[in-house]
Amino acid sequence: MTAQARGQGALHAGKSKLNRMTFTDVWIMAFLVFFSLLVFYPFYNSVLISITPQAVYIREPFMLWPKALDKSSYQYVFENKAIWSGMITTIQITLIGTAYNVFLTVTMAYALNHSFPGKKFVIAFIMFTMYFSGGLIPTYMMIKDVGLMNTLWAMILPSGVSISYLMVMRKFFQSIPEEVEESAKIDGANDLIIMFRVVLPLALPMVITFVIYYGVERWNEWYNGLLYIKSASKMPLQLVLRQIVQNSQSIQASESMQEAGITPFGDGIKMAAVIVTMFPVMVLYPFLQKYFVSGLTVGAVKG
Amino acid sequence: MAQARTVGLRMTPAQRRRRLLKNIWDSRYMYLLLLPGVLFFAMFRYVPMYGIQLAWKEFTANLGVTGSPWVGWEKFRFLFAEADFWNSLRNTLVIAGMQLLFVFPFPIILAILFNEVRQAGPKRVMQIVLTFPHFLSWVILSSIIANLLGNNGMVNNIIVAMGGEKVNFLMNKAVFRWLLIFSLMWKESGWNAILYMATITSIDPSLYEAATIDGANRWHKVRYITWPGIATIVTATFILRIGSIMDAGYMQVLNLYNPAVYEVGDILDTYIYRITFEKAPDYGVSTAVGMFKGVVNAVLMLTAEFVSRKFNGEGLF
Repeated sequence: MTAQARGQGALHAGKSKLNRMTFTDVWIMAFLVFFSLLVFYPFYNSVLISITPQAVYIREPFMLWPKALDKSSYQYVFENKAIWSGMITTIQITLIGTAYNVFLTVTMAYALNHSFPGKKFVIAFIMFTMYFSGGLIPTYMMIKDVGLMNTLWAMILPSGVSISYLMVMRKFFQSIPEEVEESAKIDGANDLIIMFRVVLPLALPMVITFVIYYGVERWNEWYNGLLYIKSASKMPLQLVLRQIVQNSQSIQASESMQEAGITPFGDGIKMAAVIVTMFPVMVLYPFLQKYFVSGLTVGAVKG
Repeated sequence: MAQARTVGLRMTPAQRRRRLLKNIWDSRYMYLLLLPGVLFFAMFRYVPMYGIQLAWKEFTANLGVTGSPWVGWEKFRFLFAEADFWNSLRNTLVIAGMQLLFVFPFPIILAILFNEVRQAGPKRVMQIVLTFPHFLSWVILSSIIANLLGNNGMVNNIIVAMGGEKVNFLMNKAVFRWLLIFSLMWKESGWNAILYMATITSIDPSLYEAATIDGANRWHKVRYITWPGIATIVTATFILRIGSIMDAGYMQVLNLYNPAVYEVGDILDTYIYRITFEKAPDYGVSTAVGMFKGVVNAVLMLTAEFVSRKFNGEGLF
């Protein structure tokens, strides 16, 4: 909020009637708070289940705060080799994949913000893929034919440019004044130098926004893994989680638990795996929310 | 600009060609920048299209895509006689229709309500909470849903505590579609509301002030200022959603459904997935379903684009 807008708010406060909580205000607030709690509680509940001992959970499954703490669910999850290998795979996918996404999107968006012979054809070439695609089997056959099956690349290369992000990025480049580029050109810089040295530093907030968008998508990767990955050691974290949750038999007592005579607490372990999988997004989200939102609003408010 | 065009008209073909070549040479760095992206689209969006021929072929692994024999429209004939195909088409349309009716309007209401809230702190916290689920995968969300609604989950325990009978939500044909609707609202409402809220923010505040002076109440302002202010973007999103009505939430259904609810939950995408990777796959039939969906989708999207140009004066993209 700008200082001016805040000033206007103060002005309203002076007119007392506008700023008093009316009956309707209370109802609107109550509804929004209720809906927010409804959205929030399932996540909170998952955290509680993951840190509560089984006996307590069975007695009282609707919890508002933890009555007793137990770290065995997390111990189980972190002793699980599949979780670790999944995490390593997912980190690799996220790092390489995001760099690949951002590089392709930024270079393409920058070029499309300039005029050159054949531009219309390039735009049509890109847009056509929005209306029509090969579909599941043709893509699957192609991945198989080029030998990407069961490799990390099968989860990285097929998702390159998101057309909607490309459009938002181009719109952002449009908003940078032309004089910036022109003056650099007069100084004798070529287009590549102008882009990397002059324009990209100005577009940095937007680039960061897309690093985050693509990064989250990469962290959430599981579908390409489901299609193209055969060996368990190469599965991404989300796919490992999916198997733990969907296949209860996969949760078996580890050696140390057997010795101690503990039966694993299925729900607790599943929820601990959920929390571990969503941890980076959960922790970073509140701090990065303004970047998350800025990508949407640049695209939304058409200039 | 106009001057440049008249100069262009007076040029001989040879001059024009020389100028084009010079333009191309001057744009060499632009082509270089485009190259990686264009290669990506060619490789991963266009090359797979050669596989479309499988819809008219009897695929045998050792003969490959190009070597397999042609069988005409046999795969499509087989498909159109399949009850499961028609069932999945019906489910796709019913579920997408329910989304239009319930999931689509809710963020608009949320945005209008949020616009009425003046306490900046609570507003921000609620927005963070409501937009958060958008950034989680359906793998995570469906794990949480399965736990919450499972046999020993919180919801069933509350039902039992209140003297009711346990409900197996995830395997219950009567409630499964509603489960899809409500879980989608849970995931996307807050995020979709941001788009409308940003548009409301861009409405000229003096309109509201003038209306207040003229004695308009809150409802009048929503009806005659806020709503007209967002109507264009609402229409655009609505048309876009109609255009993609063949997508009823592939990832969501794939993670939430099970054989007990195939009858009400199997959509075209999951049907393709099932016949491709379960039992004895027939790649020809799978590709044919994909073709069917792709063609209908393309026609709908082009129609949506046309309608959008007609009503809003600009295309969707």
